[in-house]
Amino acid sequence: MLAVVAATVLAGSGCSVIQVTGPYTVNDNQGGGDPLNKPFQRMIAIAPQPGWGPEDTIRGLQAAMAAYADDPSVLAGYLTPEARAKWTAAGPVTVIQDAYEVAVPPPRESETTVKVSLKGHYVALINEDDSYKPTAGPWERPFELVKMPEGYRVSNLPQGLLLTESDVARAYRPTNLYYVNRSTQDRLVVDRVRLRLKTTETFAQTVLERLLQPPTEALRGAVTSSFPAGTKIESIRSGEDRVIINLSGPLSSLDLTATTTLTGQIRNSLSTNEIAKGRTIEIVVDGETYTTDLPDSDDRWLDDDVGDSAYYVSKGAVHYLTKEGRGGAVAGAAGEQRDGYDHFAVSAGPNPLIAARTSTGISVAGIAPEGVWQEVIRGDDLTPPTWNRDGSLWTYDGKNGVLLKYDPSRNRVEPVEVPEELDKLDVNQFRIARDGVRVAVTTGEETVQIGALTGEGAGTKLGNLQFLTTTDTGNEIRDIAWRDDEHLLVLVEGTAGQTLNEINVGDGETTGVPLKDRLQSVAAFKDQVLAEVATDNGNKLMVLNQDQQTWTAKIDSDAGTPLFPLG
Amino acid sequence: MPPTKKKRTRRRTLRQILGGVRRRLRRAAGRTRSVWRRSLQLQVVTSTLVISVIVVVVLGTFLFQQINKSVVESSQRSAASEAFADRLQIADALAPETDDPAKQADGGKQGSGNALDEVMDTVTGSGENGSEKRYEVLVLNRTTPGQSRASGSVVADNVPQSLRLTLKRNIDAYKFDDVSGTIQAIRFRGESQPRLTYVVGGIVHLTTNGRTYEVYHFFPFDDEEELLSNVRLAIVVVGLGLVLLLAAIAYLVARQVVTPVRLARQAAERLASGKLDERLKVRGEDDLARLANSFNEMAANLALKIHQLEELSQVQRQFVSDVSHELRTPLTTVRMAADLLYDAREDFEPMAARSAELMQAQLERFESMLADLLEISRYDAGAATLDLEPVDIRDVVLRAIGDSEALAERHSTRFELRLPNEPCMAEIDNRRVERILRNLLFNAIEHGEGRDIVVTVGADRDAVAVAVRDHGIGLKPGEDTMVFDRFWRADPSRARTIGGTGLGLAISREDAALHGGWLQAWGQPGEGSQFRLTLPRNAGVDLKGSPLSLVPPEIEMRRTWRTAMTPVLLPASADGADHDED
Repeated sequence: MLAVVAATVLAGSGCSVIQVTGPYTVNDNQGGGDPLNKPFQRMIAIAPQPGWGPEDTIRGLQAAMAAYADDPSVLAGYLTPEARAKWTAAGPVTVIQDAYEVAVPPPRESETTVKVSLKGHYVALINEDDSYKPTAGPWERPFELVKMPEGYRVSNLPQGLLLTESDVARAYRPTNLYYVNRSTQDRLVVDRVRLRLKTTETFAQTVLERLLQPPTEALRGAVTSSFPAGTKIESIRSGEDRVIINLSGPLSSLDLTATTTLTGQIRNSLSTNEIAKGRTIEIVVDGETYTTDLPDSDDRWLDDDVGDSAYYVSKGAVHYLTKEGRGGAVAGAAGEQRDGYDHFAVSAGPNPLIAARTSTGISVAGIAPEGVWQEVIRGDDLTPPTWNRDGSLWTYDGKNGVLLKYDPSRNRVEPVEVPEELDKLDVNQFRIARDGVRVAVTTGEETVQIGALTGEGAGTKLGNLQFLTTTDTGNEIRDIAWRDDEHLLVLVEGTAGQTLNEINVGDGETTGVPLKDRLQSVAAFKDQVLAEVATDNGNKLMVLNQDQQTWTAKIDSDAGTPLFPLG
Repeated sequence: MPPTKKKRTRRRTLRQILGGVRRRLRRAAGRTRSVWRRSLQLQVVTSTLVISVIVVVVLGTFLFQQINKSVVESSQRSAASEAFADRLQIADALAPETDDPAKQADGGKQGSGNALDEVMDTVTGSGENGSEKRYEVLVLNRTTPGQSRASGSVVADNVPQSLRLTLKRNIDAYKFDDVSGTIQAIRFRGESQPRLTYVVGGIVHLTTNGRTYEVYHFFPFDDEEELLSNVRLAIVVVGLGLVLLLAAIAYLVARQVVTPVRLARQAAERLASGKLDERLKVRGEDDLARLANSFNEMAANLALKIHQLEELSQVQRQFVSDVSHELRTPLTTVRMAADLLYDAREDFEPMAARSAELMQAQLERFESMLADLLEISRYDAGAATLDLEPVDIRDVVLRAIGDSEALAERHSTRFELRLPNEPCMAEIDNRRVERILRNLLFNAIEHGEGRDIVVTVGADRDAVAVAVRDHGIGLKPGEDTMVFDRFWRADPSRARTIGGTGLGLAISREDAALHGGWLQAWGQPGEGSQFRLTLPRNAGVDLKGSPLSLVPPEIEMRRTWRTAMTPVLLPASADGADHDED
């Protein structure tokens, strides 16, 4: 009886509803997994309304095109049966600016067909390989509408989808995919695509499905994939602290190289797109664990073997750049003050070599006390030397129109095949990116093209050349520098002043870097950007701050031509 | 007509089956009822079970409804407020006119698809730093192209029809502030199962350009559903456990009470069956212990009283036996003297001669009464023994009739004999059975009012029986057992014409009992009476029935014809009462 009374009193006197408990292990099974998806919004297309005029119908048609991938049925409602039979969504997607105009002629009572034209400005094309190519200029296409009892219907329209910038921003995501450098097989190469978000699958699945496909045109032949043909993605699940990718196909877990490469491709393709970041990735093939990749495992797939070494040139001698600024001269001939050597380039690795251009050719010197300059390539119209990550030295002989490759281990110079059109152009700069695949070529003074080293071994050649950027006539591209795998810094000397642009070589996305002083040259490696500024009392070395907006002097005088290994 | 026949047969079969089922059900119900009525424990446990089930169901339903209400209501409240905030945001972003100069600067974008995209990015969390929202949003503008957006996999068809119509009505009636909600299971694209979803529909109306947006929020309610189903499961399990626990408690408590009561009942039954030394065990001092004490005291007192009565009865019997014996010696002398007087009566004066005759007659009666008293006291003392021999009962009957014929003639009564043709052999004491039959015949003659007396003999495998039927005044209800009492007289005012002692039937009954047989009487006022003697063929074998009916066949037949109410047949006697007799 007493116990009952005590229990009643305790229950009634406001004993806490939630008990205070000691620390215990929390198993975060619910919602702790990676969502594998990104929230997004979609255009909802509505069927043409009877009260709409030609302009509303065209705008409704465009909205239906934006929603076409989700629901193709609405678009069909805008078309006459004939147009429906003729039209296809295949082909590149045209992207125009949001503010487009629909020019409707004055209505005439007698005519049932109306010819309208849609005027706007080109923004880009999304090709069928998902690559995004920025374009510019006005865009205009005619459309033909027929007035039917239920309203206007489009009877004639250009093939392919027409989207606005907003549609693309809403439905597509810029995505980095990673493939393997074909010749060295030790480095991942980024391929930038625009992927359409799908309601029926997670973004992770969309990314991996695309990764199974070949790379975009720009990297075709230059990279390989570790996914054997016939590989399929069965499912992607998000577990407690891991992401489980279930594959099927002819994958052998005995091939350790393939396993690590595949893991590297998947890990980087997901985590650079903010998926499965910091989570264990478990790859399952046909129900059996293939490999498990811990999030903190050492990933050397994007490592350039460069360390934190940086150099600058003071009075013709190459010096180390330290955190404090000025460092000592490098050992050997390169560290001695000597005229006639310019456009230095440093190779990667523990024992880097320095290459420099002279009036007679390209010379190479080791950074060692006994290092002396040794001319390895002869020529009087060579582009500044550039090192590839495989240790070879490259330059373009403008006079003979040939790309030359010097292999220090064999001490031999070999010509490399280039596209024919390059012969006709004036190649000023030739820079191999640190991934060993992408190549930036300055042709003339106004254009930068991006290519790739395709093939391997003796069959290596320069290919896939694509236009990246151009400047107005009269402007001059003064310097280019690879910042990382996908960004190229382009310094343009114009009549109105200098501009420094950071261009994404994958989709042409351009970011301007504000300048205060006139720059002579730039060098960059990931988040470090160095520039040489000419002042009254010689040159000084500037560094771009972390905010990417302001510059600070690193070395105030007698320092120029900043250098990072490779790039 | 064979088909009809067949049909009829089948119908009858069906009816028979139904009848069988009904009978079986009735039997089972009867058994259950009997078990129910006999077991206090079952009654207590069942009542507790029923009451606790009702209480648990009522409380559980109430509790679940309360929890359900609070969970769903709170989720709905928070959902409605989130939806409201989103609608405000959308309305604010889409309004072309704004006082914010910063927004006015890029006023070209206001009201365009971009503004909608921007606000949808915020609302759906699909912007740069947006985090995934727990709900989906659908913005529908059914009149302006390119002004409809959705998040996730929601499409316009996912909006429940009723909600869409409600919003349409609100728009038509310019009720732009009205918000509607509905909870429905909706199957979204790419999902195999419908999900329980709370859909909130509101309207954003821009007065400046007249555009109207239907804004739908889809809040998944599957978490709530799971929570509530877990709660319901918990309530059901706990309720079930509680009911079982209560039943177990009731069982234990009832057992504590019922077991001593049951023991007391068993003890009382044993006591009633004559085991007077039966006592209950007394444990503790509670009410049941006191009951046991009282029971034991009662049993002790009862035993004492019975013992005293037995002693008293013994003394009485001894007294009767002694008196009878003691009376015989003077009676013999008196008899001899009376014989002398009777033989010399002719020499007396008529008066004295008549007195001598009377004295002789009364002395004979006195003698036979004394003989009967002695006989009965022998029974009481348990000294009576049987002198068994196989006898044909028909011979015994004939001898008894021969003995009674003189008396029958005096009463102008005739006997009607119904004897079987074959011999009816039985192991009996000839003398005693003959005495029984004589008694029955004398009795029938005395009460037969001169009408015929039917004597029937029957036999079967186990028993032989003799029935003596008279057509006199009969017996009143209850008298059929009293006739065997000592000195019982149907009408005390009636004189004994034959001069019976009043002990004849009592002795006959003792004789029958000594054989392991029955002596039973039947009678109805105005219908006469019938006495039936049933004896086992082999001495010492228990009787299972009688070859003859106790009720005379003609009466039985009349009763069947009338199909009227059966006259109440009371058990004929104590020793034959347990048997099923017709």
